[in-house]
Amino acid sequence: MNKDKIIRKDIRNDFPILSKKILKTKDLVYFDTAASAQKPQVVIDELNQFYKSHYSNVSRGVHTLSVESTLRYEDARKKVQSFINAKSENEIIFTKSATESINLVAQTFYDKYMSTGDEIILSLMEHHSNLIPWYFLRDKYGVVIKFANITESGEIDVNHFESLITPKTKIAALTHLSNVYGSKIDEKVSSICKRNNVAILLDGCQSAAHLKIDVQKLECDFFVFSGHKTYGPSGIGVLYGKENLLNEMPPYQGGGGMIGEVTTDKVSYAELPAKYEAGTPPIAEAHGLGIAIDYMNNIGIENIFNHEEELTKYAYEKISELDFVKIYGDANNRNSIISFNIENIHSHEVSSFLDVEGIAVRAGHHCCQPLMKHLGVNSTSRLSFGVYNTIEEVDIFINALIKCKEFFIK
Amino acid sequence: MNELLKELYQEIILDHGNEPRNFGVCETHNKSAHGHNPLCGDKVSLTLFVDDDDIIKDIKFSGEGCAISVASASLMTEKLKGKKLSYAENMFKDFTDLVKGSEDSLSTIDEDDSLYALKGVKDFPMRVKCATLAWHTFKNALKE
Ligand SMILES: Cc1ncc(COP(=O)(O)O)c(C=O)c1O
Repeated sequence: MNKDKIIRKDIRNDFPILSKKILKTKDLVYFDTAASAQKPQVVIDELNQFYKSHYSNVSRGVHTLSVESTLRYEDARKKVQSFINAKSENEIIFTKSATESINLVAQTFYDKYMSTGDEIILSLMEHHSNLIPWYFLRDKYGVVIKFANITESGEIDVNHFESLITPKTKIAALTHLSNVYGSKIDEKVSSICKRNNVAILLDGCQSAAHLKIDVQKLECDFFVFSGHKTYGPSGIGVLYGKENLLNEMPPYQGGGGMIGEVTTDKVSYAELPAKYEAGTPPIAEAHGLGIAIDYMNNIGIENIFNHEEELTKYAYEKISELDFVKIYGDANNRNSIISFNIENIHSHEVSSFLDVEGIAVRAGHHCCQPLMKHLGVNSTSRLSFGVYNTIEEVDIFINALIKCKEFFIK
Repeated sequence: MNELLKELYQEIILDHGNEPRNFGVCETHNKSAHGHNPLCGDKVSLTLFVDDDDIIKDIKFSGEGCAISVASASLMTEKLKGKKLSYAENMFKDFTDLVKGSEDSLSTIDEDDSLYALKGVKDFPMRVKCATLAWHTFKNALKE
């Protein structure tokens, strides 16, 4: 095996937290990037520098600091625009998280385009963040939610999906890359939606830091992701929406910055993107996200993808050799995520055991309770990779997994 | 093997985790509650029969969860059977103190007690909820 050839070896030095010792002795093996990515030094430094030298509120004043802040905030928007290849900056809305982005779409899309009895399609493997905002619509307005089946290999059953569409179907909201299986959505799904005049929202939380995103090629109407999973700060999220839709839909929250003119009896709204950014936005966080995007671009998203693919393949092979481990999903359609269970050992035990070995993996339902039910399990363990992980770490993990099994099953 | 793990997973914990005692539903019961840890999906259902003198005559649990939560529920049912409710409530307090690492003022649990085996949880803060799930469910059952 040609080890770590794609990404320079010293990349780990970019991430100060990776030199932390767990329980004072163990090297940290961070396999929980799907929950949140660690931050490179440049992002940490730039946040610091921003508060030290440029900080003020945005788009509100004419003084020097306000200008400097606003320039950086808007620059971040341009970086996001080109990162996901949106047509216009107006299509990039900053929110506090992907979760907020989905809530925004659910509410305002309903207001403009839906009424009681209309239908939404989700899949059984959606994150709670891409379920509950739609459940709200069901509870409040009586819309109907249908769930697309998931195949054994961890993908949306495309035929079943298509069969759910009726003239009442207005939108489908689906994960671009599953946070449990690591599987990427079949591109046919977008074209099916397009053909049937159904809008589609892709939840890009798990794809944005790993795959080259091109919202135009993806043919999606909405695309959301969170800054903290793309090596940026927490507290910043992105909503991409097609300009005509964002223009037609009503604003989400009311407040400063989103208005055109206000009198005592009426209000007109600002143009895009300000229309959807009520109140003081996450200013430094947006700047930090912009720096994180620069960081990923410098390495090259393709290189990140190839590196993680190599890790994922290697880990999948190694884990498959362990006959006491069950992996969920398929070998082929899998990016940077592997969910598994050790027979007769709860994921909590696995996670606590690995933690003591310095290895951070996620245990639990991964905010996907309907999927857990579908799989007939209570929880799984999950390892997920970032740009900083190595083949050696996978080997450490495999050895720990064997020790774990021996510890619990005598 | 790591000392913290040995502390956490003492023999008695693994034993009760694998073969829980008092598993099921009390044939006659007058108190019950469901407990759920939304963070991980662990579940426990508890049924009790409490007589007119406030004595817990029978107690059983069912559900699914990790070794810590199952063992804790199992040990709890063993301990609570035959106890008076007021005493049981003191045990609740002592047990939650114990797993959070404050063991100085325990009045109902001592070092020889089987519940003491769960003390290792204190070094795994994220697991405290696993250990206390059954006990909180018990507390809720009394509120009925
Ligand atoms: C697939 C998916 N969707 C949505 C989310 C929610 O992201 P956030 O909590 O950053 O809003 C996550 C994060 O766990 C996720 O993995």
